[in-house]
Amino acid sequence: MEVRARILARIRKALKERPKALLPEHPHLRLGEEPLDLFLRRLAENGAEGHLLNQEGAVGLLKELAHGLPGVAYGKGVPTSFRLFPELPPEAAPLGVSWALFAVAETCTLALSSEDGRKAQLLPPTHLVLVERERVYSTLLEAFSEQKALPSALGLHSGPSKSADIGQVMVKGVHGPGRLVVAVLT
Amino acid sequence: MRVKAKLYPKEAARLLQEKPSVRASVTGATLHFERNRLRAYGEIDAEAWRERARRIKDHVLTHLDHYLELAEKRLRENGVQVHWAEGPEEAHRLLREVVARHGVKRAVKAKSMLTEELGVNPLLESLGVEVYETDLGEYLIQLLGEPPSHIVGPAIHLSLPEIQRLFHDRFGTPLDAAPEALAQVARGVLREAFLTAELGISGANFLVAETGTLAVMENEGNIRLSTSLPRVHVAFVGIEKLLPRFQDLALFLPLTARAATGQRLATFVSLIQGSAQPGEEGPEEVHVVLVDHGRTALLADPEAWEVLRCVRCGACLNACPVYRQTGGHPYGYVYSGPIGAVLDPGLLGLEEAHPLPHASTLCGACQEACPVKIPIPKLLLAWRHRAVEQGLAPTWEKGAMRAFAQVMGSPALYRLFSKALRGLPLPQALQDHLPLLRAWTEGRGPLKPSPRPFHELWREIKEETHGG
Amino acid sequence: MRVALFITCLADQFYAEAGVAAVRLLRALGVEVDFPEGQTCCGQPAFNAGHWGEARALARRTIDIFQDAEYVVLPSGSCTSMVKNHYPELLPGNREALALSGKTYELSQFLVQVLGVEKLGEGLKGRRVAYHHGCHALRELGVKEEPLLLLQNAGAELLPWEAAEECCGFGGLFSVKLPEVSLAMASRKVATLPQAEVLTSTDAGCLLHLAGRLGRLGRPLRVAPLATLLWEAYAGQS
Ligand code: SF4
Repeated sequence: MEVRARILARIRKALKERPKALLPEHPHLRLGEEPLDLFLRRLAENGAEGHLLNQEGAVGLLKELAHGLPGVAYGKGVPTSFRLFPELPPEAAPLGVSWALFAVAETCTLALSSEDGRKAQLLPPTHLVLVERERVYSTLLEAFSEQKALPSALGLHSGPSKSADIGQVMVKGVHGPGRLVVAVLT
Repeated sequence: MRVKAKLYPKEAARLLQEKPSVRASVTGATLHFERNRLRAYGEIDAEAWRERARRIKDHVLTHLDHYLELAEKRLRENGVQVHWAEGPEEAHRLLREVVARHGVKRAVKAKSMLTEELGVNPLLESLGVEVYETDLGEYLIQLLGEPPSHIVGPAIHLSLPEIQRLFHDRFGTPLDAAPEALAQVARGVLREAFLTAELGISGANFLVAETGTLAVMENEGNIRLSTSLPRVHVAFVGIEKLLPRFQDLALFLPLTARAATGQRLATFVSLIQGSAQPGEEGPEEVHVVLVDHGRTALLADPEAWEVLRCVRCGACLNACPVYRQTGGHPYGYVYSGPIGAVLDPGLLGLEEAHPLPHASTLCGACQEACPVKIPIPKLLLAWRHRAVEQGLAPTWEKGAMRAFAQVMGSPALYRLFSKALRGLPLPQALQDHLPLLRAWTEGRGPLKPSPRPFHELWREIKEETHGG
Repeated sequence: MRVALFITCLADQFYAEAGVAAVRLLRALGVEVDFPEGQTCCGQPAFNAGHWGEARALARRTIDIFQDAEYVVLPSGSCTSMVKNHYPELLPGNREALALSGKTYELSQFLVQVLGVEKLGEGLKGRRVAYHHGCHALRELGVKEEPLLLLQNAGAELLPWEAAEECCGFGGLFSVKLPEVSLAMASRKVATLPQAEVLTSTDAGCLLHLAGRLGRLGRPLRVAPLATLLWEAYAGQS
């Protein structure tokens, strides 16, 4: 408590004479493009794969990705209709499937809740994310403004894991998934 | 971290002389970052974004006590344990306690400049904890035992052959192994560490007061892993990292990413509200350490307080032609480049850091890059001025300036000087400063004054009429 | 219209021809030119090094010397910025400093913004020119298009130069306080320099530094102050 009080007292003293600055509001951004189109386009620009699919198509995509694999790690929120393959622990699974809370076109971002899990989003080398079409926001501001309750952790994923730390050469899949596949469900 | 800022001029010269490859690596990498930033700024109304960011940061800083208390309250409501630290002492005490209570043998660390300030790694190692830096660049320099040379790309001074050699010696990979192969080796080692570590340590880019949210940006996934897999997560947060509202992240996350790497958003952002809920994956215990370490002193500074707006994006480093020649090591402290040159004197005191504000030609490129519009050149000048006031300028410089002002203060002396420059015997005052002249001529050849100065030519053209 | 020329110390000593060119050019455009005799240095070296006492003394005398001028024109971007931007900071509340600030212009800025001249002649037809943006002209004064416009309209071919807007590493005292870094910066400018006939800039300091470096690295190239080229643009000779 003592350190806390000291720091706060120093801050108050420092600010005594300083004019207070006002807090500006955020204007809403207009993107001039259909959020869904933009989302898919920017995903591709970021080295991810995005598809607009109905239920059947999405299951087909999953089958394709899981073909020949021993099993899949699922997020808790993934509907049973997608749980067609043996479940493996994320540590051992070559494919993780997640159910996103929402997505954002502006930054081609998928928001993944800790309620869905964490390991399946991070450990397998390939990550398939399912998101409902109605959950695609156009901007971050719009998406953030509408979140009422926040989970203990929200992971925002906007592409495959990457690094250019080795001699400025871009390498994918450094720690997180090197392949990100997104299915927007109609 | 050992502070060597005083040695900047010598260290910069030595590096250029002894390790020319650093200049090539750093120049290449920073120009690449800089081009990306320019493209990314070009896509938005950068001026409006930066102005809004500046105003929000100024608001937070001028209400800092309020927002710190609010953040603390929200963090506690979220089940986070909040600690306050003046500096290393309190930080180390907490870590000792956590290590003892959880029997920590292994810790994974996500890149954080603040933990460099606090000497977290040496402390943990002294407690027998194996510490793994998990950001790939940070891991490379940890293996080499070097400090980071850039806020965002800690290993940008290393060339591919140097890294190939390092991995060859450490892990027996071939000397011509591709970057992908090297990354796979590092991934293997660090994956094991993630899965077995009891403690995860991170910094934070932002702390939202309204929701108690820690926001951490990265591209590799190592921060998400460090804050998700170990049982305990300790985050060190500078008290200036606050944002008022969750909404504000919608500006600061993309703006910082654009400034830092030219991305629209970092590949991964962790927004952490607290420890895992029952039945959830994630840390059982989350600690947030609110660290001062010189920041309240900066806040009290009527000019330099503006540096507390800094979001550590590194854009000023990338834009800086001085930084580009050497990278960060010669600056001798955690923060290098333009931000280091204006922040370090505040954090360390001018006595320790007075050469750093001179690591600039005042070209102004940093200020144009900065996403929160820190007036870096103005602050460089202010620190230089204070150093002079405090008697920290070198003796030769004081003498030179006095002589200079004397000569320039008198047209008669100035004319004499002008003659001297053209071959008359040099007056004593000038001779005293011959080392300066040598510093000039060594790389540029002898000074060649015009045959006659303009003020003499003027007498001839004074009466000339139209068209000469 | 009457202009007082502030030659500034570096140009006076090392690029005297810039002064002659500026005077002839301004006169040719119908402007009367004075040269107040007591002028020396604007004080920038002292200001930039933090020696504000010395800088203030020089600022005060410069303000006195140019007090009665209608306009003050300098063939130097950084000295213009010193007078225009930093005198009022250095002497807060000083009205004369503000007044001087308001009537002070870098030469190309004066030609385009005050005189409204965009074409001087065609004297640079076909000349391959590399233009170095002095940092203070570019970022403190916002002088970017003016010199390019005047050169281009005179027929010069402006060569693309990837490092045209990068600092050359002169930086006044910087060049001798951190000579190794300063030279490394100049080397990058030289290494990226296109195949030009002439290298020009608003600033004598940058030119002195770059010319020296070019010589040392064995790349002979004509280095001329912008004022000189602008006079050639008008008068058509080289
Ligand atoms: S000073 Fe500005 S540009 Fe430099 S790191 Fe800080 S926020 Fe980024």
